[in-house]
Amino acid sequence: MKKPIKTISYLYFLAALLLTICLVQCGLKSLTVTVPPQGEVGQRVTFTMHSGAEPRIEGSGTYTTQLLAGIMVPKGWNARENAVLTFTSPKGNGTLRLIPDSEIEPVSGLNWHQAAKKMFGIGPNLVDDFEWIIYRSTQSYTFANNEDIDFNVKVECDLGEENMLLRLGFYVGSAIENLRPQDTDYKKFAFSNIFEVTGGQGDLIDFVNPQLGTVQPVKTLDNDIITLNFNAGVANTALDNLDDVYLRVRAFDANDQLIAESSAPNEKTKLQGVGGKRFLIDIWPRGFFGLTADMQIARLEYFFTDQTGTKTVGYGNTDEPFRYTFRCD
Amino acid sequence: MRIKQLLALIAVSSFLVMSSCEDEISKISSGDEPIKEIAGKWHVVQLSRNGEELSERMDMTNFSIEFKPDGTYSVAEQLPFMLQGSGNYRLNDPQYPFSLLMSAQDDGQELAVSMQYPVVKGERQLSLSFSLGCSGNTYQYNFERE
Repeated sequence: MKKPIKTISYLYFLAALLLTICLVQCGLKSLTVTVPPQGEVGQRVTFTMHSGAEPRIEGSGTYTTQLLAGIMVPKGWNARENAVLTFTSPKGNGTLRLIPDSEIEPVSGLNWHQAAKKMFGIGPNLVDDFEWIIYRSTQSYTFANNEDIDFNVKVECDLGEENMLLRLGFYVGSAIENLRPQDTDYKKFAFSNIFEVTGGQGDLIDFVNPQLGTVQPVKTLDNDIITLNFNAGVANTALDNLDDVYLRVRAFDANDQLIAESSAPNEKTKLQGVGGKRFLIDIWPRGFFGLTADMQIARLEYFFTDQTGTKTVGYGNTDEPFRYTFRCD
Repeated sequence: MRIKQLLALIAVSSFLVMSSCEDEISKISSGDEPIKEIAGKWHVVQLSRNGEELSERMDMTNFSIEFKPDGTYSVAEQLPFMLQGSGNYRLNDPQYPFSLLMSAQDDGQELAVSMQYPVVKGERQLSLSFSLGCSGNTYQYNFERE
């Protein structure tokens, strides 16, 4: 009786080994992207993803799936409305359709777009005003063993109206696989080289270079809670080696009239150290300045100072203030 | 004889099972879900913006809101909120609420605030989600009763 049991055990072990080998060897080729170095505001630009499938299927089985592809772009580009994704491959060409928000990615319990944001983040960008948008091919494709192919996914997308420096995110995957954290075979993602949008009005939004002062979220109104960051590690400044850094800030209305200011270094204006020579302060501008209902702040000008208020750091480590404009679009 | 006994046993068991199910069904249908009562003064214990936790960084000492039994509310001056001052409130459904409908005193327009009413560590929490400024920024406040 022992011999058949032993044989069955060996068979199970062999099956598990084959399955493991298959799982390890099946999957997608690494993802590379072709992204132009720059584009003009409002221009329709094409980005291309290059990847491929490497089906390694034991026996006579096949692997049937749909192609997933995703992009990470600034929210302000409104890519959900205007981006078009198509693909070309030896197995046929086709289009990809936005996955509805109502469809849940099973591993995360979030919708696919939120799940991708959670999984891939914002890559090497330093400021978050991005969204991941995931698409799925309208057709399924069946692969036999060793039916290796290369495919390209073309993304056509309108650039927004703002000048910016950023790195774009890209993803390809297999629709029958979920976004499992440990999986490296069925999800491939990459971030582009620096892409610049030029020709717009207003300040450059720099997502990629460390800056002395930044504000988060990128887009707010005066009733939002905003975080002003001072990154003292970016350059040598008048505030080097100080533990206590304060905010001096002036608020202007839409007519560019000064309507409120806070210049005294005190507990209310003191930034918190968060390590690595970085400091921040969270303020609710309407409450911070004690605005009445009829007052609205259009923009802020601010400096970082020492406790005496005599040493100051402004935009680009100059005497010019940092500027922040409240807007949603 | 044994078959007859078995059939009788099955019949009795089926009756018991069916009648017990009816009891359960009638209990469910007749037992009302309690009306959710949010009257009281609530204090913010957790605050996040776009999923980023800000509770540890902000002074939330005076971040409170009071819902009175007469259907009026009053927002503490220091609380960043979508409405300021006082006004009226109601739940979209008193038994299964998922929205808190609030209107400022000087403006009859009702604003819907997404709400949950979970029990955390044995105490009710009031969890509200909304935008303060730009609609792209979402805040979640978790309140506890003072």
